[in-house]
Amino acid sequence: MAISRFSYASMNVMDVDAAVRHYVHVVGLRETDRDEHGRVYLQAADVQDHHCLILNPATSAGVEHIGFKVNDPADLDEAAAAVAAYGQPVTRVAADAISGQGEGIRFPLPSGQHMLLYFHADKVGYATGMENPSPVPPQGTPGGRVTHLDHTLLSAQNPQDDVKFLTEVLDFSLTEKVIDPAGNTLAAFLTCSHTMHDLAIGPGPDGHFHHMAFGMDSRTEVIHGVDLLKENAVPALEFGITRHGISGVTTIYFHDPSGNRNEFYNGAYLAPGAPGWVPPIVWQAEHFPRGAFYYENAVPEAFFAEVT
Amino acid sequence: MALKHGGIIRIAYVRLALHDSRLRQAQFFYCDSLGLVETYREPDRLYLRCWHEAFPYSLVLDEGPDNRLVEIGFQVRDAAELKALENNVMNAGVQVQNHPAGVLSGMGESITFDIPGGPTLRLFTELPQIGYMTGFDSPDWVTPRSLRGTPAPFFLNHAGITVPDPKAAVDFLTQALGFVVSERIDSDDGQRLLSALVFRMQKEAGGQELAIFPGPAGHLHHIAFTKEDPNDILIDGQYLREAGVNIDIYGPTRQSYGKTFSLHFQDPFGVRLELCAGGRLTEVHPEFEPVRWTESQLGKALSYFDRDLQTAFLAPSL
Repeated sequence: MAISRFSYASMNVMDVDAAVRHYVHVVGLRETDRDEHGRVYLQAADVQDHHCLILNPATSAGVEHIGFKVNDPADLDEAAAAVAAYGQPVTRVAADAISGQGEGIRFPLPSGQHMLLYFHADKVGYATGMENPSPVPPQGTPGGRVTHLDHTLLSAQNPQDDVKFLTEVLDFSLTEKVIDPAGNTLAAFLTCSHTMHDLAIGPGPDGHFHHMAFGMDSRTEVIHGVDLLKENAVPALEFGITRHGISGVTTIYFHDPSGNRNEFYNGAYLAPGAPGWVPPIVWQAEHFPRGAFYYENAVPEAFFAEVT
Repeated sequence: MALKHGGIIRIAYVRLALHDSRLRQAQFFYCDSLGLVETYREPDRLYLRCWHEAFPYSLVLDEGPDNRLVEIGFQVRDAAELKALENNVMNAGVQVQNHPAGVLSGMGESITFDIPGGPTLRLFTELPQIGYMTGFDSPDWVTPRSLRGTPAPFFLNHAGITVPDPKAAVDFLTQALGFVVSERIDSDDGQRLLSALVFRMQKEAGGQELAIFPGPAGHLHHIAFTKEDPNDILIDGQYLREAGVNIDIYGPTRQSYGKTFSLHFQDPFGVRLELCAGGRLTEVHPEFEPVRWTESQLGKALSYFDRDLQTAFLAPSL
């Protein structure tokens, strides 16, 4: 069948304890597991799987791999054959090589970051439980009120190569893109569901990580999230709260202690759900400042310069 | 293509018949008070959509001798997938009717069938998009000026229906059509399924395209539209009251069942409508687990703020 969700990011961090404090007490995730490799697993309130984030002890920051689920065990063999036929090397990942998930396949995107597909995730349930749950987290839950890991943006020297691979091999849809005057893709927003983007590709060096975004149920929660960032002196984008013209969501960017960029955001955008049914929105490069930061109509230099 | 998203891709529209000469009252309510956008008008039919939608309609209104739910439409990935679903439906013992292209404006060939004890569903593959109101070129994704001062919802979110035997309907929807249950309400002894929310889409305000309630066969319980934010819904309630619209007894509330922030209200024909934000990002996966409610918690399930069960809320509206 198909990819059923963007599940998790496996991130390299230089100080695991500091990272856990950040992702629990600022972002608002819950710790769900630790393993013998020193990795820590975390999940957001409204997702029932084992993890949406893995923190790996490492000597430099960045993305170790990103995980997507498929909804048929046979998809792994099919995807492995198709990815290999496309020319990308595939390796098998044994069940429980990563805590809480079954066997998978792993391969690099054309831009070099690794993607992992798997079928099975152990269940931890929603933070409020699965029986007669309250619609809000328990009083005293630390951090921002994030509901789920929503999407990630990776950098690529040639974003169009990733777009081609993701749409032709893995059935992603392109919802919006930014082009230069010659028509080359500078940034692309791709979904494997009905959200505006599960995986976005932006300009920058191959193999690097730009940000991952955590969803919130309201703009009020984003405002509260910004307050939390300021109270905790978390390094954040100079614009404070803002809006993306692309996608039209309310947002703030900030960094974990190792420098990996995070985002809080709220938006309701519903993508059509099948490739080709609706053409992508096209942003001309001259409008990109408005597309990136709608209120300020400017792009800070650090926004693309800083990747991990 | 190794991996392909198949089957039903999205809820496309809800179609009602209304006893309303030239649909004048309906047009005034749905366009001027609610903030939907008229796409086409035929002598006895109105095609409406939400401003953020690219397809030409998500609400179709027919002039008819009485007020009733006509059908709910779902768009399927391609013709082969439609044929496979047709076989699934027939294998479940449900009669299927085939229709040529053009039953509704722009629509390709379609099939219709009645779900067990429930309304008619129409499945189709072709429905050309007509473009976003805000355009495809470096758009301002901002509610169009002409709609401001109304709720102007972003998208059709889900339809609530009543059926005499919820278990039979949910079994059919899951087994024949690939729907997944996000939440369910069982009797306290666990013996009877009373209600369920089912989905095919992974969307931001997610978890349901159909909400199944116990009641008479094939009636409409409500139609829900997506909003971005609870704060907007509070303001929308002001616009609706100013326009003389009846708000449901719960008022704006958190609906624990589905985890939405919701406001229910009535159109001039008694149709219950909902504006909702929130929900959960669900997943079409065989290991996905539903939230389980027990009947004694129904008050909390339907309104976290009120807790008292308003039995009138359980009745169908059309």
